[in-house]
Amino acid sequence: MGHIHFKNKEINLMRQYKIFQFAALPVCLALFLMLFSSIYAQVASAKIKVVASLPTLGEIAKEVGGDKIDVKSLAKGYQDPHFVDGKPSFILDLNKADLLIHNGLELEIGWLPPLVTGARNSKILPNNIGNLDCSTLISNILEVPTTKIDRSMGDIHPGGNPHYWLDPRNGIAIAKGIAERLKEIDPKNASYYDERLGDFTKRLSAKIKEWDEKLAPYKGTQIVTYHKSWVYFSDWAGFNEVGYVEPKPGIPPSPSYVADLIGEIQKMNVKLVIAESFYPQKAPALIAQKAGASFLVLPSAVGGSDGINTYSDLFDVIVGEITSKLASHGKG
Amino acid sequence: MRMRLEAGHFGLYTTMPIIVTLLFGLFLSPSMYGEASGDEREDVTKEIQELRQQIEIMQKKLDELEQKNKELEDEAKKQKEEKELEKAISQPTPLPPQGSGFLKGLVQSLNPDISAIGIFSTAYFSKNPPAPQLADTDPANTGINLQEFELGFQGVVDPYFRADSFITFTLDSVEVEEAYMTTLSLPFNLQIRAGKMRSKFGRINLQHTHVQDFVDVPLPYGTFLNGELSPVGVEFNYLLPLPWYAELSASINSPEGEGPTFVRSSDANNLGLLLYTANLTNFFEISDALSAQVIGSIATGSNGTDTDNRSTVYDGTLFIKYRPLESSSYQEIKLQSEFMLRQATIAEGSFIDWGAYAYILDRFAQRWNAGFRFDFVDSNKQFPSEQSGELFPTQKEYRYSALLRFNPSEFSRIELQYDFYNPSFRSNFSSIFLQFQYAIGAHGAHPF
Repeated sequence: MGHIHFKNKEINLMRQYKIFQFAALPVCLALFLMLFSSIYAQVASAKIKVVASLPTLGEIAKEVGGDKIDVKSLAKGYQDPHFVDGKPSFILDLNKADLLIHNGLELEIGWLPPLVTGARNSKILPNNIGNLDCSTLISNILEVPTTKIDRSMGDIHPGGNPHYWLDPRNGIAIAKGIAERLKEIDPKNASYYDERLGDFTKRLSAKIKEWDEKLAPYKGTQIVTYHKSWVYFSDWAGFNEVGYVEPKPGIPPSPSYVADLIGEIQKMNVKLVIAESFYPQKAPALIAQKAGASFLVLPSAVGGSDGINTYSDLFDVIVGEITSKLASHGKG
Repeated sequence: MRMRLEAGHFGLYTTMPIIVTLLFGLFLSPSMYGEASGDEREDVTKEIQELRQQIEIMQKKLDELEQKNKELEDEAKKQKEEKELEKAISQPTPLPPQGSGFLKGLVQSLNPDISAIGIFSTAYFSKNPPAPQLADTDPANTGINLQEFELGFQGVVDPYFRADSFITFTLDSVEVEEAYMTTLSLPFNLQIRAGKMRSKFGRINLQHTHVQDFVDVPLPYGTFLNGELSPVGVEFNYLLPLPWYAELSASINSPEGEGPTFVRSSDANNLGLLLYTANLTNFFEISDALSAQVIGSIATGSNGTDTDNRSTVYDGTLFIKYRPLESSSYQEIKLQSEFMLRQATIAEGSFIDWGAYAYILDRFAQRWNAGFRFDFVDSNKQFPSEQSGELFPTQKEYRYSALLRFNPSEFSRIELQYDFYNPSFRSNFSSIFLQFQYAIGAHGAHPF
């Protein structure tokens, strides 16, 4: 009996030894890689690494940070910012980031949080210096619910409408917030960021004046948009949103809803139906045609279509297309 | 009255010197004139010259003043502009919008994010009872089945950890599906998960039932892992410093109770009989539209048939996703395949069995998906099944499944699935499922 017990023990020891052998190689490899990566990280940290969830925020960061920062934007400008694939490759960018700039108001809730957790980077965790929620920079968030909400109202955002970057005046506030954060992270270049912020603000303010003048004759224009993503733009441009192609945010329209909407807006003087390129075009085009309005497919972010490389480009295109459409609408 | 008096006073004082000068001039000038009358012309010319010079000096001074004035104006303008700019820049950073009282209370309650997910399915089997249920969550009989009801509690614990807990209910059991903490700020790209969790092993193993694309689990998952590998353990995850996403994971676990492959060993003092897993997940972004995931995993541990009897399961996964964003916002094609091989020692000897599944899922409209799956299991030996109890080699089985899914919104799903199942130990049968799903509470993240 004792002999068998001893044998069992020996076998167990041998098994443990084998498992140790099995584990030793990966452990050594891992230790080596850790050493390598820490050296690599120290060598490669020359510029402030900024990751922006949305390209529009990334472009504003570039304006402020200039050549002192490296900016990587995760989502594409031509993509619906609600439904971005949280690709694991984004984790690599977030892992090395000094600053994560995101839109907030739960716009990225479907894809960003697990990436931030997976990034193993305490700098960019929420409420840390390397995590900038740009919605906290905006003074007038629209459509903040004041009563209890539920999802029978569609996919609505408890903190308010998140599409605030479509008011160019908010671009100044965002740039200022980014500059402040960059100064905190990289104080030795503070004057550089200040200078660039001043320059950007000056250029953008001049542009806003220009766009204001262009849009001034069309104040009060009645429009219909696909999603509730243009409320900040309308607020600035003085447009009056009288309907939405979606019956509720995130819910695609049924044929009967489209028919009802057409009937409703035929009684009004709707001049424009606007949809982003990533939404289906059939329903809004039909609504525009039946209601005697013009249909416009517009970009809503930097990179939204070819040639939109800066924040100003975005509004140059939006304001340009809208005003030329409205001008020709009057004649036609 | 007093005002006028003062004004008069003032007038007298200022005009006095002028009057005095004029009087002096009257008395003195003729005599001076008389003296100078000889060089009259010269003097006049001289005087004119002097005057001209004076005028020139005055002009110069005037120019200087004008110049200075202009400079000052410019500076004032610039200062004004700067002030405006400063005002624009230095608008106080607004506080986050304040909700009304009860909303504020809800936001700042420090409660974890809570979600509840219910999965029901009506099922029809052409033969009833059907083959043994492979996973607890698979529909069991013809009729209406509660597949799973899941409660989730998720939140950040402190600056160092976050915690995710999921409790699942079926009609006759309650199970802690997952309850684990994740480190948030370890150095060297390390991340540790500890608790009960779905192991990093293959791809489907990390997906909760409500995220899995088909109503029932694939045959190899059902046969080898009873649907999932979710032991209690500690898992070390290391992000490799490579140009692509590569995560190396290793874990030490105690398997949960009785499983078809791994069983909690009674020889509790033997570390070698615990369940060990290792996993390498690679992700390649081939283009903006096309990406691929390649995973290799291994799990080894006691199978409970005897003190030293082990099972080892290997898994190779390939997942390809095509999402042409520039041409369509919703269109998406997923190709997913896993191959699993199990090697086990039992009382009768050792055997090897294996299985695989492969499916394609096409999101052909904004709210619609269609899919097709093929899965099978097979083995190299046949044992009389009554001898080896819980663990015995798989016999040849295969299955075809077709699927049509409708998502009314992100938070609900209706899925119709047809299975043609061929288990070699009994005759073919078909089944039809109609699954309903809802999700309420915190907005979960969409898995990649």
